[in-house]
Amino acid sequence: MADRRVLIAAAAARTAFGDHARLLAEGFAGVPAFAPVTRFSTAGRRTQHAATLPGSPSLVDELVRVVDQVYPGDRASVPLLLAAHADASNRALAEEVAARTGVRDVPRVYTGACVAATSAVADAATMIATGQADRVLVAAGYLVEPSTFALFDAGRALARDGRVRPFSAGRQGMLLGDGVAAVLLTAESARPVARLVGWARSGDAYHVCKPRPDGTGLARAIRGAVDRAGVSTTDIDYVNANGTGTGFNDAAEVAALRLAGLDRVPVSSTKSVHGHALEASGLVELVVTALAMRAGRLPVNSGFLGADPDCAVELVVDGPRRARVGYALTVNSAFGGANTALLLEAA
Amino acid sequence: MNATVVPVVASASWPESDVDTITPVTGFVLSTFNPLVAEVAARCLAGQQPGARTAIVLASATGDRTSADAVAEAVASGTRVAPLLFFQSNPNAVLGHVAARWGLTGPVVCTSPTGDPMADALACAELLFAAGEADAALVITVELADDRGGTDRADAVLVTARERA
Repeated sequence: MADRRVLIAAAAARTAFGDHARLLAEGFAGVPAFAPVTRFSTAGRRTQHAATLPGSPSLVDELVRVVDQVYPGDRASVPLLLAAHADASNRALAEEVAARTGVRDVPRVYTGACVAATSAVADAATMIATGQADRVLVAAGYLVEPSTFALFDAGRALARDGRVRPFSAGRQGMLLGDGVAAVLLTAESARPVARLVGWARSGDAYHVCKPRPDGTGLARAIRGAVDRAGVSTTDIDYVNANGTGTGFNDAAEVAALRLAGLDRVPVSSTKSVHGHALEASGLVELVVTALAMRAGRLPVNSGFLGADPDCAVELVVDGPRRARVGYALTVNSAFGGANTALLLEAA
Repeated sequence: MNATVVPVVASASWPESDVDTITPVTGFVLSTFNPLVAEVAARCLAGQQPGARTAIVLASATGDRTSADAVAEAVASGTRVAPLLFFQSNPNAVLGHVAARWGLTGPVVCTSPTGDPMADALACAELLFAAGEADAALVITVELADDRGGTDRADAVLVTARERA
């Protein structure tokens, strides 16, 4: 029996821009949401900046909110795959979200760093494609908090200049950002947001935290997603990159994009405006990618200072670019050499 | 896309006895979580020749509480967070070590299961097989001893996919 198609029936993302309107208007135009953190003290850290929602929102409240947005109906028969930071209280988090949303169950919380949410999407897609489920919810959340801020500061991973400059000369690193997102995947939908036609994961088998410099691991994930969709990389009109703004990570990602034949396809990393939402980042960026397709508008790779010869791809830097997007790819990479690629087709 | 998990090819556990030991892993400090992952992976894969398309699935209901508590205590007291803790700040990191040592280029998946950890981790492996993303999976569960006592515990199994007729 042929695999069933996988549709994104609904999608929602919350970032420092709030809901979608400001993200589309300001974030896509390259206006960054970074500001000094007020949620907790950053005294003694190398940077004080992150992209946060106002106040100190509750992760459970935010997760319930986005699930309500994407599927306000009866969720009693719908499983929910969650992604969040690895934490001893994740079982309690899952139980509370399940109780408040009324979903069938939350079998697990995906904790695999920057590919946690996209791994959940890949599993949800497989459940739909193989007929194991008719509808699957995926939700992910990360809200900037002091422990991770301190860890990334200790690892000298945060940009001291308060900006994330993916693929740019002079980039200094990443900045954290709030991100909470949800999608509803289904086999049938009258008006889907997009079709999820390709998904694949791969491992670098290289290092505990550095990506394989030649990009072969991520390129394999890209090829896997493209092959599953039965298309060519020449069909892809936009790539939402992982683009953390970190020196060797960005260079390795570009190596992968070039290996996959995507060096002339418009690329941007929207972490440059909404920051890095860690375990939720991939789902936020999947929603951003779907929004770009729907709007026919490619978001700016913000913070660009000048070309880096190690990052020779077709960056969207001058302003949001009008484009008809038939296929769009979003890629993510994480510690441990974990890579994911998700390919969308316009609905 | 149809596949199913076949019986286990190899398995390993820690501890195997009351005096069992763990081999330290360079770069990982303070917590037994990461060395335990590497230990059961090495025991499970000893004598095996896993193919490159082998995935790694790591499930832990409570995760690396030792490292997380150390960071939280440092933040609360205003003292410096050890830089090495950044590199072990998520469970993916040690899987990079395992994957590099054994040449495993399949997917890397980490979870906090809400039910039985090994059963759920095997369900994740089945999804990878069903999607054609891997030919085999090294499935690992780890739980550290909690405040009430007990002992650290880790298990690993190597499973392979079998296409249905």
